[in-house]
Amino acid sequence: MRRRVVPYLLLLPGTAWLLLFFVVPLYYMAELSLNSGVVGELEFNWNWDNYSEALSLYDTQFIRSFIYAGVATVAALLLAYPLAYTIAFKAGKWRNALLFAVVAPFFTTYLIRTLAWETILFDESPVTEILDALGMAPEGHVLATSGAVIAGLTYNFLPFMILPIYASLERIDVRLIEASKDLYASAAQSFWRVTLPLSAPGVVAGTLLTFIPAVGDYVNAQFLGGVGNRMIGNVIQSLYLTQSNYPAAAALSFLLMALIMVAVFVYIRFAGSEALMGEEAV
Amino acid sequence: MVSSEKDQRRPAAALAVLVAVAVLALGLAACGGGDGGIQGGGGDTESESVKLEGKPSGSVTISNWPLYIDKGTVPAFEKAEGVKVKYIEDVNDNTEFFGKVQPLLQQGESGGRSMFVVTDWMAKKMRDLGYLQTLDKSALPAVEENLRASLKDPSFDPGREYSIPWQSGMTGIIVRKDLAPDLKSICDLFDPKYKGKVDFLTEMRDTVPLVMKCEGVELASASEDDWMAAIDKIKAAADSGQIRRFTGNDYSTDLTSGNAVAVIGWSGDAVQLQIENPNIEWRMPTEGCILWSDNMVIPIGAPNPTAAEAWINYVYEPKNQAKIAEYVNYVTPVEGVKEIFDKSEPELAKNQLIFPDDSFTKNCDTQPTLSGEEDQKVSAAFQAVVNG
Amino acid sequence: MRESGGARAWRWLREHAVVIAAGLVVLYLLIPIAVIFFFSFNDPQGRYNFTWQGFTLEHWGNAFGIEELTDALITSLKLAVLATVIATIVGTLMALALVRHNFFGRRLANFLIVIPMATPEVVMGAALLSFFLILGTFSLGFQTLLIAHVMFCISFVVVVVRSRLIGFDRNLEEAARDLGATSLQTFRLVTFPLILPGIFGAAMLSFALSIDDFVISNFNSGTTVTFPLYIFGAAQRGIPVEVNVIAMILFFFTVAAMGFATWQQRRAEKMASVRPEQEAGAGMPAGAPAAT
Repeated sequence: MRRRVVPYLLLLPGTAWLLLFFVVPLYYMAELSLNSGVVGELEFNWNWDNYSEALSLYDTQFIRSFIYAGVATVAALLLAYPLAYTIAFKAGKWRNALLFAVVAPFFTTYLIRTLAWETILFDESPVTEILDALGMAPEGHVLATSGAVIAGLTYNFLPFMILPIYASLERIDVRLIEASKDLYASAAQSFWRVTLPLSAPGVVAGTLLTFIPAVGDYVNAQFLGGVGNRMIGNVIQSLYLTQSNYPAAAALSFLLMALIMVAVFVYIRFAGSEALMGEEAV
Repeated sequence: MVSSEKDQRRPAAALAVLVAVAVLALGLAACGGGDGGIQGGGGDTESESVKLEGKPSGSVTISNWPLYIDKGTVPAFEKAEGVKVKYIEDVNDNTEFFGKVQPLLQQGESGGRSMFVVTDWMAKKMRDLGYLQTLDKSALPAVEENLRASLKDPSFDPGREYSIPWQSGMTGIIVRKDLAPDLKSICDLFDPKYKGKVDFLTEMRDTVPLVMKCEGVELASASEDDWMAAIDKIKAAADSGQIRRFTGNDYSTDLTSGNAVAVIGWSGDAVQLQIENPNIEWRMPTEGCILWSDNMVIPIGAPNPTAAEAWINYVYEPKNQAKIAEYVNYVTPVEGVKEIFDKSEPELAKNQLIFPDDSFTKNCDTQPTLSGEEDQKVSAAFQAVVNG
Repeated sequence: MRESGGARAWRWLREHAVVIAAGLVVLYLLIPIAVIFFFSFNDPQGRYNFTWQGFTLEHWGNAFGIEELTDALITSLKLAVLATVIATIVGTLMALALVRHNFFGRRLANFLIVIPMATPEVVMGAALLSFFLILGTFSLGFQTLLIAHVMFCISFVVVVVRSRLIGFDRNLEEAARDLGATSLQTFRLVTFPLILPGIFGAAMLSFALSIDDFVISNFNSGTTVTFPLYIFGAAQRGIPVEVNVIAMILFFFTVAAMGFATWQQRRAEKMASVRPEQEAGAGMPAGAPAAT
């Protein structure tokens, strides 16, 4: 009998904290989203208009955010995989140094890293000129375009993509790959049919950890973007802090969460990974 | 297996219970807490007055805009009055600051602040909501004596009941004279030859009135339609790519790096930017500029208003103000400072951006006011353009 | 048949393509850091630190000279340490429960852990703000920041420790008991040291998340200024060079800490005479959060 209680006791502090400071605030925000009125005179009256208005007014920003985040996630995946692969299989004694190199930028503040890109990519800088020459700057400059925002998102969330993929790769039993080679598979075939599928949990985790925060981001858009690049996060921040329009802000926040949940659900279904939810062990 | 695992989990479980109890205790204590908040009743319409309590003492917390004071004034004040000052630079934007403090003020709290500094229209808005205290003039003799005549009786606070200017400024255009030598007016900002090289301010009260001036509107009698028409013009410019970005103070990056050739910007910044790059200069638009002040106000629920008023009085002594003006380079509201500079800093004394004479500002207007409802509509429309 | 020089070079490139790509990515990751480092030696005349105007060590010497900046840094450090300690303890306990036991509500608990990670920070920050205001008990400031930071760190700690626990070889515990150790001794001398790298990794992650947090802090800080919040304010008016200096100090300090931790781990492994490859996941150095 005592054994049964133990897990609940272990869970208690964490669950209590999350319930009190995550679930409850969300409930209050839900309540707010059904209010109407001006700040100082809000009243609760099941005002679903907030939701329909939010959807119609800000559909552009929603779509834009999902696109930016999607592109950034794909880009991050393409950049992260080779690096994760190298660290897992080819690094040997450089492994730790490389992992530091991946994680350490994390420790200079998010804002400073983003602002550093402003210094690197200003219109007349050599880097911008090179990118322009390569045809990657259709507007002649890099900053204040959607490209800059996406690049910023990719950069800032790259470690979130690298580490899960690395962890997944690292746990692969090398003998499986050797076996496939023994069975006359080429290096490419071994990769596509053995390594890649085995690293799927890592890829799934990485893409989620990148996509989700990216959709709600507003810092990159504010500093690196220009007109017409603002994301849904900017709108929420504006509604909350600038316009003090709490009901609309709350409604928009919930809509964003709901849309993300749907996207994640579909994705996980498709990827079929129970390992993600931690159903293993015991 | 069963018993050994159970035993193993015991110490961990015990710790868990302890932590859980702590968290729940916290939670229960919290639930017993206040009511109201955002939902609570509106602010009191009858305004509180500052109640002075003898000599200033204790400590005082002041919220101001960044880089709006020199390094020596706070320590000097602390020494002169025996009051400890906590000076925070957390006002980056009027509306953002309002968003942060409004819910507190709603409940009669100021979040520990004894004073903050906000622009004219925000001061009026807060006053109308009942968030500001009426000042006790008896403790402000220096203000009575030295406040510039033109600022003594503004339309939003006749007789200066609740606000005293900290610094004044002008919003106009800041230009890279090497890249855009001919850009001299607000209307010029819409010239396609500068496409994608122009920044506008996110501060609606500066940007839209300036555009209205370009359209020839008399600001003192501007209607809601005038505002909306100007916003439409801005929207068209944003959509066509004429405007590169909507910025706060961070237009400075774009100017120094040449990303932008001209921006709508504030006079005080230009003096600093010129040191950075001598090609940057503030220009008075041909249509005129927008005049504004950032004002010291004392919120309801402010701790130690006596010390706060002592601060106001202290900075209105010309010799103390001179030190601030020297660093900040905005338009000082205190008479007598120019005379001090004539002797010690003649260059600064002649600078039109710090001591503008009347002919310089003849076309300038103060920020036009909007009623509560108009404000909501116009703000929403403008924000839609900024966040488009 | 000898290959031509060109063909040989091409072949070398193809074989090492992956590693070359990886190298480029590492470079990409470190470029902004290099820029920040570079500009920490700048000697600007005015307030802004955008264009290079001269080399100086002055700001390195004066790294903690700006009072507001140093105060903000100290606040952030205090906050991060406290939040990390609390979140790590709470999260580890949760991970133990979720991995070692099968109980009713396990699915739900897993779900509860994952949701905060799926919530955009802007939403979490705003929701917390509304909550604190309605409640009125906590004054906006350090208290509320601490609560918020612990909240978003817990999920990450759980995920990291959990993945470490999953890869854990139970036989080692059995062996210890076979050799006469009590359950407490087993936990203290076998289990705990072996999951310690995972806990440490989770703690580092939590520390990083806390010290770096901007969005949630922006909503819930009241008058308290954290390091990222200070930078945000300063970004509007000209970031002092000292900010770059402090950012680099944080960076180097972290690298040193991670290096130290790895070195310790190597020593511990050597002393335990357990070969690294045999322990699932033990090759992972500290600071690497893993997927499940």
